[in-house]
Amino acid sequence: MQALIIDDSRAMRSILRRIVTGLGWTTAEAGDGQEALDLLEGGLAPDLCLIDWNMPVMNGYTFVQRVRAEQRWRDVTLMMVTTESEHGQIVRALAAGAHEYVIKPFTAEAIVEKLGLLGLLDQEVPA
Amino acid sequence: MSILAPSALDLEALVTDMWASFVGAPELLLPAGPPADDAVLWSATVTVTGEWRGMVSVDLAEAAVLGVTRGMLGFGDDEEPDAASCTDAVGELVNVVGGNVKSLMPGPSTLSLPVVSRGAVEVPSEMEEASVLHLTWCEAPVRVRVLTTTTSS
Repeated sequence: MQALIIDDSRAMRSILRRIVTGLGWTTAEAGDGQEALDLLEGGLAPDLCLIDWNMPVMNGYTFVQRVRAEQRWRDVTLMMVTTESEHGQIVRALAAGAHEYVIKPFTAEAIVEKLGLLGLLDQEVPA
Repeated sequence: MSILAPSALDLEALVTDMWASFVGAPELLLPAGPPADDAVLWSATVTVTGEWRGMVSVDLAEAAVLGVTRGMLGFGDDEEPDAASCTDAVGELVNVVGGNVKSLMPGPSTLSLPVVSRGAVEVPSEMEEASVLHLTWCEAPVRVRVLTTTTSS
């Protein structure tokens, strides 16, 4: 399994990378939505995108809209991971095609639980 | 005039949660008195605009910045974080605190990207301090402030 981590903070990408690599996944990273789109255009085919909302160049909401507009990327699971917790924004993101929404700060257990709910943990988690 | 802002108790709860999730050793975050003027070497701010208007700042001493950066980036104790890593980690720290403060206030509103600087941040003249949390972490000063606009526009 592979996750594409999209966040303008290197610290946050590091935190998320440690969580998903602990599950035995591989990762790729992007610092904004446009950089992530460029990776997808270049042939990267992640199972999951972990997406911040507030980023320079292209925000996470626009990224979700752009991915969901393309039939070829319909199998990618999209999870927002953001400080944005207003109800209206959560509704907007889910309506645009995000599958899940996690609010910072989060625990590793919360991320793993969401991945399980999404059916992305079909193998035993390494201890 | 009453000022709408999260309480110091709210601030303490969300800062402790954030520390526990991303930095580590939240039990070493302890209440403290105001730091000496020269203790704050890094400041990070985000602004909130919309139904509620305000600014959230996190000010830290150098030792706290290095510890926060090591914790968030997963560095070992023997690794010395560079300035870019410190700026990134402290920026994300205030982003998370600011986003959670925003969620406690009336919306809708918009959160800015973080601004990080060396030295204490200058408070805009139309803002006043509404809540403040003085802490130490590993004995290094940490201050979290919420400032709100004093004008009604």
